[in-house]
Amino acid sequence: MQDLTRISLVDSPEEALTPREHRLDFIANILNRGAIINGILAIIVILAAALGAFGVLGDTFTTLQNVSLFRSTVAPDTASLMIILTMLLNTSLLLVLMTGVLAREGWAFIGIWLLVIGNVAALVTQGFTPGIITILIGLWAGIIAGRDVRAFRMNPVMLKELRGRMRGVRAFAVLTIYLGLMSGVTVLLFLIFTALNRSEGSAAAGEIGRVLFMGIVGIELLLIIFIAPAFTAGAITGERERQTYDLLRTTLLASPPFVIGKLESALSYTLLLLLAAIPLQSIAFLFGGVTEVELLLAFIILTVTAIALGTVGIYFSAIAPRTLSASVRAYTVALVVTFGIPLVLSFILNIFTGALFGTGTGITRSPVLEGLLVYLGLFLVSINPIATALASQQLLIDQQVTGFWTTTLSSNGDTIPMVSPWISFTIIYLAVSTVLIVLAIRRMRKVEA
Amino acid sequence: MDEGLIIQTADLKKSFGKFDAVKEITVEVPAGSIYGFVGPNGAGKTTTMRMLTTLTRPTKGQAWVNGYSVTEEPRAVRRSIGYMPDEFGVYDDMRVWEYLDFFAACYDIPEGERKRLINDLLELVDLSHRRDDMVDKLSRGMKQRLSLARTLAHDPAVLILDEPASGLDPRARVEIRELLVTLKDMGKTIFFSSHILADVAEICTHIGIIEAGEMVAQGSMDEMQSQMMPHREIVITVRNPEAAEKVKTLLQDVNGVLDIKDLEPQAGRSRIQINFTGDDEGVEAISQKLSEGGIAVLGFTEETKDLEAMFMRVTKGIVT
Repeated sequence: MQDLTRISLVDSPEEALTPREHRLDFIANILNRGAIINGILAIIVILAAALGAFGVLGDTFTTLQNVSLFRSTVAPDTASLMIILTMLLNTSLLLVLMTGVLAREGWAFIGIWLLVIGNVAALVTQGFTPGIITILIGLWAGIIAGRDVRAFRMNPVMLKELRGRMRGVRAFAVLTIYLGLMSGVTVLLFLIFTALNRSEGSAAAGEIGRVLFMGIVGIELLLIIFIAPAFTAGAITGERERQTYDLLRTTLLASPPFVIGKLESALSYTLLLLLAAIPLQSIAFLFGGVTEVELLLAFIILTVTAIALGTVGIYFSAIAPRTLSASVRAYTVALVVTFGIPLVLSFILNIFTGALFGTGTGITRSPVLEGLLVYLGLFLVSINPIATALASQQLLIDQQVTGFWTTTLSSNGDTIPMVSPWISFTIIYLAVSTVLIVLAIRRMRKVEA
Repeated sequence: MDEGLIIQTADLKKSFGKFDAVKEITVEVPAGSIYGFVGPNGAGKTTTMRMLTTLTRPTKGQAWVNGYSVTEEPRAVRRSIGYMPDEFGVYDDMRVWEYLDFFAACYDIPEGERKRLINDLLELVDLSHRRDDMVDKLSRGMKQRLSLARTLAHDPAVLILDEPASGLDPRARVEIRELLVTLKDMGKTIFFSSHILADVAEICTHIGIIEAGEMVAQGSMDEMQSQMMPHREIVITVRNPEAAEKVKTLLQDVNGVLDIKDLEPQAGRSRIQINFTGDDEGVEAISQKLSEGGIAVLGFTEETKDLEAMFMRVTKGIVT
């Protein structure tokens, strides 16, 4: 075998062979165009909103609301933020569906129709006119796909992986041990908490519930950080090392179903672990202090984190020569994103708060700069799952907000629209995951030069 | 492109940096043949096969398999071929039928047809009784047969097999050889590489000899033999030395006989080796002469070890 790190690569076509494959290519193309149109429009709207915010273009917020969200009763600036985020969400969902269609996944077919329904609902109830693009694109793609539903099949790679993974007692032993450990931790948390509070006096039951809930979610997050990249970092390099990669490359299996199948099998097991722990999280309900909304938000954040870290693993598995180097790189990214960024951030934040509120001169007088800093803060929180979880929870407890809200600038008392971090987090992570999947597929399509 | 050729290359070249692994070779495999691709280790056999199976891009030149270009239409080529690399790719944690099921699914064979297909394939390679066993519990020969079954899942026109018999015990080797002949009878073209001449000699219809990245000889077995071996060898076995002497005197003046040698007696029987330049009519003349002379012949065989000689003659022993 040649040294994998030194070979050069060239693009190789993966031409469609049957009418069915031509049709799927065509559908993927439609969805891709739709994503591009949505993305360009989103950028235009962002620019328009920014110009309005800086006072260059007059009141663009009201115009945007009148044109693109005319049935909504929220303030014009909040409406503009909603429009931008929904368009970005549409863009990344269309890209996800595109790869899904290329991989011939049943969920892609269902997803196209759900996206159409969602956008119709947004159009009818909120007057979300940009959704018309997605509706038309979705209808076109969905109708063509509907002519040949049999094109969507069980992913062979996922089936193979799951057969291997779930065989025998091992998978269930792992699940049992995992739940046993989680239960143990829960009991431990409960004992520590009650012991601490006995010495201090009264303890609110709600507080116990909250501590238990956060403890379990925290451990699950930790688990995902270590499990999700591990499951996927060996997905493609492992095939190379077992010398089965060449076998697969000479079959008609295209790159998208291969990458997606590997991701699905890894994620489905991670998801199983997450779902299995939900009853444990629900123990917190006995003590109160935790709502179903929090449970749902925690599940969404955990799932999105698992998907994103899984795709990070897949991406490095596609480009790295060995499983070891793929794992090292995937773990580095996972640890930097989850722990490194908060450390650096808290450091920077300390300096900034000093500048903002300590001396109180200069910067804080400018509302534009303060507004930018607030959004930068939201963005930085949104790229970290731990910060996102904590901020979203705090927002829920303090202001009962799960969606859009407003914050007041200290410089001039204006309000600016904000969004609960879990929403921006989900959009950012889904977009990054999609890009990584597309890059991994592109790398798979190459052959040795 | 020639109609009758199912694999064809034009100045196919592959370089790794400054090293030319394959130097502008021309491979011509007629449809329906068993083509033995022979050469010493490191001669460029595997690299050539990897180019033909679209796994690596030629540095220069072009190749067509079943009429499709390996660089322009790689998936059409993949649909036409069944490829078996020289190492068996093991999926642990997989049963025999699951292994075939997975690859059949990779070739987009509908789920409803797979069960029957798997049973047929397992029957063909004589592994039906191991259907539910784990793949890694199979012996090497069985794994090789399973691999062969895998390459047949989508009913390809061409099988490209890299060293199918290497590392097998003699029995397994014979089994693989018989399988290849069966597959040829089913209408498949088989292109396989080997550095073991015995494998090639027994079953091939065509042969190509590669050395140091260059094709030194190529053609059908008959062509190759008449080209490379100007004389043929016949060994005649008779009961005793007296009969042997009679044979010698009888054949001395037959047209085309070059020389006559005594061989070591075997099991008390005398053997005589006759080298002669001639076609099949020459062989007929010899046997007729013997029967006219009233000599009881125990054995009359044409030696096939000449492939070895042919190989030694064309290759210079340069292995890079």
